[in-house]
Amino acid sequence: MLTKKLKIGIVCPYGWDTPGGVQNHVRDLAEFLIAAGHKVSVLAPAIDEELLPDYVVSAGKPISIPYNGAVARVLFGPIAYARVRQWIGSGEFDLLHLHEPAIPSISLLACWAAEGPMVGTFHAAAKRQKVIFAIGPILEPAIEKLSARIAVSEAARLTLTDHLETDAIVVPNGIYAKRYSAGNFQEKWAGNTIGFIGRFEEPRKGLQVLLDALPIIARFAPDVKVFVAGPGDPKEFEKVIDPQLRDRFEFLGRISEQEKADFMSSVSLYVAPNTGGESFGIILAEALAGGACVVASDIPAFDSLLGGGEFGALFESENSTDLAKVIIDLLRDETKRKELASAGKKHAQVFDWDVVAEQIFSIYEMAIVGGKGVSLSSDGRAWGRFLSRDEEKK
Amino acid sequence: MKTLLFIGFLLLIGLWYLSFSATRLDRLHHRVETSWANLDVLLQKRAAIALEIAHSDLADPASSMLLTGAAYQARDANVKNRSMAESGLSGALGLIIADGLPHATDSEQALLQELSALTAKIRVAISIHTDAVSSTQMVRNKFVVKTFRLAGTAPLPVTYEFESDVL
Repeated sequence: MLTKKLKIGIVCPYGWDTPGGVQNHVRDLAEFLIAAGHKVSVLAPAIDEELLPDYVVSAGKPISIPYNGAVARVLFGPIAYARVRQWIGSGEFDLLHLHEPAIPSISLLACWAAEGPMVGTFHAAAKRQKVIFAIGPILEPAIEKLSARIAVSEAARLTLTDHLETDAIVVPNGIYAKRYSAGNFQEKWAGNTIGFIGRFEEPRKGLQVLLDALPIIARFAPDVKVFVAGPGDPKEFEKVIDPQLRDRFEFLGRISEQEKADFMSSVSLYVAPNTGGESFGIILAEALAGGACVVASDIPAFDSLLGGGEFGALFESENSTDLAKVIIDLLRDETKRKELASAGKKHAQVFDWDVVAEQIFSIYEMAIVGGKGVSLSSDGRAWGRFLSRDEEKK
Repeated sequence: MKTLLFIGFLLLIGLWYLSFSATRLDRLHHRVETSWANLDVLLQKRAAIALEIAHSDLADPASSMLLTGAAYQARDANVKNRSMAESGLSGALGLIIADGLPHATDSEQALLQELSALTAKIRVAISIHTDAVSSTQMVRNKFVVKTFRLAGTAPLPVTYEFESDVL
């Protein structure tokens, strides 16, 4: 761990008040660093400035743009740029940590405006997109200012090498593993039960795949129950569910962190049928830490997180027959389930913040060597010198 | 008059672009230097630990000799031979670790743990450094940079072929 206490500026590109993986990551990281005695300031867009914790500085209200198959709430423009410059100029940071600096957001603006030790974390995994090749040459001079690049998964690293021809160090997203391993067994969620957590209305979360698999599963396990937790309106789904199976479903709505831990340690199987768009799959890491036996689609992010099937079962993505087969096999085989769950729980320790934050720290250490802290960019350094010389003459 | 203005405008943009490229290149050279300094410090530390291991009971006399030799070579190597010398040291350390682990005492265990923590850091430092070097080489190959000699007298950074499997 670092012995020297640093002043770190973190930039979060997405609206602080909307739930999301990057925001959670930034919040946990900031709180971990503060607990370790460092000074942290987070710059993020926010709708309601009064609800922000005291380490977050608002950069203004975010706007919604479609990005990577979802709606991203980001912020840019001249006013945001002025705010970013002001935050950097008055912050006296030793280091800036920019999240997702390759999308149009305040992270990119900060990368543009700052000079000095900077670390960038790339979260997104996307297929090759022509549009990024077009804007690549513009991004390049900014991205290459980063002293070190972090990718949250192998998928994110590949996206980065594909699009911007630069490499990154893989450091996974962090979770508080201890919180999840302390879940209490709840009778109401136990038995032949299947758990699902997420914004189930989004098609890419894949609840539909599970719905389609259920008739087959119910034939072999008539008492199976599915618990769906997460924000959203279940009415749409209740319409398409086979009436005979409707009472097999229970929608729990949003659940708290503690309930999540209980949930993971109680359900027989945790299923993640996501069809794509995932870069890391933090929910799987949480499920593993909570001691759940995980069944997930074989999209690249999940495949690598589950060690190719070593720490959880995989099924062919979007294939509900295959999902039904895997679920039935596991529901019938308790020993196999226990084996997977305990292997997974052990593996989940590598995602614990203690481990992850230390890796991030050592990258910080390397980035700040020889640096004199963060200052505003001197892209016009020659001009600045030229102009100030003129003034001296006067 | 209009054409003159236009030419003046183009000249200004050209000048701005030259200054922009020069700053960019300067920044990249700086990155190469700091990342190398980082890596150098870590590698020196590793050589020191290697010597300590060579003097401990972990190593039999023969491998101790091998390790001591490799560590001194890595320390004294000039820029050109550095990566080869470091790879040699990695290999020697690998040999010891492979058969020295089961009968290690607590203090030796601590030494080995320090080594593995250091190795993880070295791996990160290598990837940061190679990245800086390749970005710099790419920019230095650009037409503007070559024609206007924006790099000045700065030497072209060399890629170090570190073995990717350093322990």
